[in-house]
Amino acid sequence: MTPVMRAEGNILLPVFAAASRSALLLPPLALLVLFFLTPLLYLFFVSFHAPSQSDLFGEGLTLGNYLRVIGDSFFLTIIERTMLTGALVALICLAIGYPAAFAIARMPPRHRLVALLLLLFPLMVSNVIRAYGWVAILGRRGVINSTLRNFGVIDLPLDLMFSTATVAVGLLTILLPYMIISLANSIAAIDPHYEEAAQSLRASPVRTFFHVTLPLSAPGMTSGLMIVFLLTLSAYVTVSLLGGPRTKMLVSLVFDSVVAFAWPRAAAFAFILLALALGVALIVPAVLRPGRVRGLG
Amino acid sequence: MSPRGRIGPALWAMIALNYSLVLGPILVVVVAAFSPTDFFVFPPPGLSLRWFRAFFELDNMRGAFLLSIQVACLAASIATVLGTFAAIHVGRRRGAGAGLLQSVFMAPLVFPTIILGLALLLVFRTVGIPVLPGIVLAHIVVGLPYCFRSVLTSFQSFDPALEEAAQSLRASPLQTFLRVTLPLIRPGVLTGWLFAFIVSFGELNTSLFLTGPGYVTLPIEIFSYLQFEGGQLVVAAASTVQVALIVVLVLAVERLVGLGRVVRG
Repeated sequence: MTPVMRAEGNILLPVFAAASRSALLLPPLALLVLFFLTPLLYLFFVSFHAPSQSDLFGEGLTLGNYLRVIGDSFFLTIIERTMLTGALVALICLAIGYPAAFAIARMPPRHRLVALLLLLFPLMVSNVIRAYGWVAILGRRGVINSTLRNFGVIDLPLDLMFSTATVAVGLLTILLPYMIISLANSIAAIDPHYEEAAQSLRASPVRTFFHVTLPLSAPGMTSGLMIVFLLTLSAYVTVSLLGGPRTKMLVSLVFDSVVAFAWPRAAAFAFILLALALGVALIVPAVLRPGRVRGLG
Repeated sequence: MSPRGRIGPALWAMIALNYSLVLGPILVVVVAAFSPTDFFVFPPPGLSLRWFRAFFELDNMRGAFLLSIQVACLAASIATVLGTFAAIHVGRRRGAGAGLLQSVFMAPLVFPTIILGLALLLVFRTVGIPVLPGIVLAHIVVGLPYCFRSVLTSFQSFDPALEEAAQSLRASPLQTFLRVTLPLIRPGVLTGWLFAFIVSFGELNTSLFLTGPGYVTLPIEIFSYLQFEGGQLVVAAASTVQVALIVVLVLAVERLVGLGRVVRG
């Protein structure tokens, strides 16, 4: 092979390679356009139609599905409960998860790996199983009631199921690993020199924590709060198993509308849920300003 | 070892609290599955496999289990191919376009999947896509971000000079991909497949709307059983089978690529 030939190859091949690389992008993009973006636009379109007995939706555009929700105190109570539960669960996750994440970030790398894997494993187990675990603990024949009865503490089983608190406990424990993993990664990424500098300036460990470590972990707090809050919004199975028929959340309204074949109303509830999710995704970073840590904003 | 000081007893107590809250419910389910009694008694008076037998003897449960495995295999394989394509493209790209494409392919991960399920159901009804392909399509979309991110991580330690070397030796693009690129990103591809499988196998939110008569996945079967049937220990056995499968797959990841990269990636 002459040097000239090799040079030619070097000029032409990158062009082919670049073209084939762009062709690679087409199938995955097509998947997302056809089965992610288009369905959502279609759902949005459906939400502006009146219901129909025979078809998926009636003719003519209307804001009726949205206006009905805003004017109905039953729906507004449920939306309020959804937001309060989501905020409460996210904040409790932060409060009890932070000390654990702080400790995990300070473990030697090998132990930290095991600690994080023990949190990753439950995330792989289906949420229906993890919610069922709480049924097995809190139910009428569950661990708590049968233990208390064995010891003769109670005669009749305690009613621990089907309340907002039960739903909150379930969501809290199902979503806690997201919070801890996100906090632990963020705390571990803090340059130890900052903390050493604070201590060499005679700051107490407590002062160092509140003035150095805590503010520098803002990125982890932001992503943890956002993930947990967003996932509470769509946790239908957990809400349904632990909350029962009375403790409904916004996502239950979506589901109930689908069961009733009220497609436009289901679509409207879905977009109200999305709007709330978007609001949370904007408010949390605006309050915690994680960009500051990287010297931005 | 750490310059940041030791972990005191208060922190160890918080670790214990967090891990028991997270792992406790799963542990209770696994223990309950081995109950010899008709209903769950705590502590169990003995051990038995009767509920596992009952699980495999129930046609609905066994069928759902087999369907879930088939759907997860198919969806994970397609998601891995598509996610790898996307990662190969994005991994080489520089500038603003790379960041934008990255958030596009990660989008299904942060999106409320129950809404995706509803949206897909409406489209499938309008276009007339049958139940089974519909479930698989939804699981491909949900699994894609895991495959994409996993393969993309492999590219961060990837030296493009190796491909250039292959091409200067006149290897065709296909040869270069099969002999150079693929072996180097193999750990990311395998991890991506296993993650997509696990995600599909436990998927609830899109499946809630998309499963239909005759085509029910195991998590949905467990859910409807919990809602409508009395005997719950069959569900504990079904859950334990699922947990056991996940443990096997996690060990497979560990054997094939090592788990360190999973946590970091």
